[in-house]
Amino acid sequence: MSNSSLPASGAATAAPGNSARPAFKRRSKRLKAALPYLLVAPAVLYLLLITLYPGVYAIIQSFHQVKFGPWRPIGLGNYEKLLTDYQFWGALWNTLVIGSISLVLQCVLALALAFYAYRDPWVKGWRIIFLIPMLFMPSAVAFIYKLFFLDGRVFADILMKLGLVDGNIAFQSSIWMSRVILILADVWQWTPFLFIIFVAGLQGQDEEVEEAARLDGASWYAIFWNISLPMMKPIIAVALILRAIDITTMFTNVFIITKGGPAFGTETISYFIYRTGFKFFNFGYASAASVIMLIITILVAQLVVKRAFVSSRS
Amino acid sequence: MASQRKRSKGESLTLRYLILGGWALFCLAPVLWFLSIGLRPRIEIITPQPIYIPSFSLDAWHMIWDDWPMAAYLRNSVAAIIGSVIIDLVLAIPAAYSLARFRYRGRDDIGFYILSTRMMAPAIVAVPIFFLFRNLGLLDTIWALMLIYAAINLSFVTWIIRSYMLDIPKELEDAAKTDGAGEIRILWEIIIPAVLPGIITASVIAMIFAINEFLFTLLIASTPDAYTMSVALSNFTGGSDGVIYNAIALVAFLAFVPVFLVVVAIQKHLSRGLTMGAVKG
Repeated sequence: MSNSSLPASGAATAAPGNSARPAFKRRSKRLKAALPYLLVAPAVLYLLLITLYPGVYAIIQSFHQVKFGPWRPIGLGNYEKLLTDYQFWGALWNTLVIGSISLVLQCVLALALAFYAYRDPWVKGWRIIFLIPMLFMPSAVAFIYKLFFLDGRVFADILMKLGLVDGNIAFQSSIWMSRVILILADVWQWTPFLFIIFVAGLQGQDEEVEEAARLDGASWYAIFWNISLPMMKPIIAVALILRAIDITTMFTNVFIITKGGPAFGTETISYFIYRTGFKFFNFGYASAASVIMLIITILVAQLVVKRAFVSSRS
Repeated sequence: MASQRKRSKGESLTLRYLILGGWALFCLAPVLWFLSIGLRPRIEIITPQPIYIPSFSLDAWHMIWDDWPMAAYLRNSVAAIIGSVIIDLVLAIPAAYSLARFRYRGRDDIGFYILSTRMMAPAIVAVPIFFLFRNLGLLDTIWALMLIYAAINLSFVTWIIRSYMLDIPKELEDAAKTDGAGEIRILWEIIIPAVLPGIITASVIAMIFAINEFLFTLLIASTPDAYTMSVALSNFTGGSDGVIYNAIALVAFLAFVPVFLVVVAIQKHLSRGLTMGAVKG
C-alpha cells in the first residue's frame, strides 16, 4: 500500500514550483484512501503469517511421508490411509460425543442458573462465586479431577462410605467413565463462561415488558419461554459458538487425565494430531489430519459462525 | 445494571436458593479440597484410604522454590504474557480503529478473517508452527511464546476494542476534525482514552488465555528457559515420586489469586469481553 503513494511524491519532486502543492494534495488524498488499509494491515499480516503459512505448509507436508530424515512425496497416500484409519474416525467421533454432551449440559445449567440468579438481590455475589472455576489454569483443573477420580480414589471412597459401592471403581478401564470425567471437568470449569454471558443478557432485557407480563398474571416459566428466551437467541448463539470452538479443540484435559485411553475411547482430534506428530513423529500424516480439520473449520466458520456474528451485530 | 426485579408468580424462593446454593457448593468444594491438598504433607496425598482431615504443612511451598525452578517459571509466564499483550495492543488498536471508524471495500471480510482465526484449533497449526519456530531458532525461548500467545489473542483483542470504539459518538470525532486534527491524532487523543475500559478488558482476557495456554507451550518449551506455570504443572511428575500433587495445587493457587483479583476489578465488562463485544453487559 505504501508503494502506491510513491509515484505521487516522485512527481512532486520532478515538477518544481507551483505544482508542488496540488501534488502534495493528491498524495495526501491517496494516503487518506489507503489509511484504513494501512491501519489494519499489520494485524492481518501477522495473522496471515500464523495461519496462512502453517496452512500452506501443512498442505504441502500432507502429500509427503515425513518421519525422520528427508520428505518423501507419496501423493494422496496419507489421505487414503486416513480414510480407513479407525483411530482418526474414532477421534472425530469422541470429539463429537464428548463435546456435544458437554455443551448441552453447560448450556442448560447456565441458562437455569442465570435465570434464577439475575433477579436475585445478591446476583453480584453469585457471579463472583460461580466465576471461580473458570479462573484456574485448565492444566490445574485437569489435575484436580485426575486426583479426585483416579490417583486419589477419593470419589470411589466417598461412594463406599455412603454404601453405594462395595469396592474400588476402576475409572481408567471404562471408556464411558473416562469420558464422564472429561465432561465433568469441562462442565465444572466452563459453565460459568455461559452463565456470565446469559446473566448479562437477561439483565439487559426490557424490564417493562417483563413487568407487564407479570402483572398480566404470566407465570415465571411463561415469561422465560415467551419473552426472555426469544430475546436471548442471538446471545445464546454467539456464546455457544465460542464454547463449541473451545470444546472441539479439547486437549489439555485429555493430555493430563486420560492420555486418550482406555482403548482410544477419549482421544479427541487434537490429541490424535498431537500423538501422531509429536509422539510417533509421523508429521506428514498429522498434517493430513490437520488439513482435513482445517477444511471442516473453514466450512463451519463460513456457514455458521459468520451468520451468527454478523446478525448479532446488525 | 438491572435493579432488583420482582418475583414472578409461582416462583419459589426456596427452590431458587437451593439451586444457586447447590451450584455454589459444587464450584467451591473441589477448590477448597484442592487447597487442602496444597497445604498438606506429601505422604498424606496418595494413600490407600483418602485422608479428609490432613495435617498442615508447607512442604509444597518449600519444594516449589527449593527443588523446582519456580522463579524461572514465574518469570517466563509473566514475561511472555506481558510481551504478548503489548504486541496485541500495538497491532489491535489501529486495526480496531480501521474496522470501527472507516468505510471501505473489503472491510467486513477483513474483520471476519481476523475473527475467524479464533476458530483455528491449536492442534491444526501445531506441526507447522513447531517447524517455523525451529527454523527460526526460537524453540524453547519466551520469544516464541510471546509471538504465539499474541497470535492466539489478537482476534479477541481486536474485536473487543472495535466493539467499544463503535460506541463512541461520531460527533466527538467530527468536532476534532473541524479543529484540523488528523486521523492519527484523533485516534491517540480522543479514541484511545474513550475506549480505555475496552482496552483493559481485552488485556485482562488476553492475559487469562495466555496463562492458560497449554498445547503450544508444551511443544515450544523443553527446559526451564521457557516453561510456564501452566505447562510446568505437568512436569511436577516423574520417576518414582509420581505426581507431586501438593506442589501442583499450590502453583495453581499462586496463578489463581492475581487472576481472580483482576477479574473482579473488571467484572462489569466481563460478559462483553468474553463475547468479543457481542453482548453489552
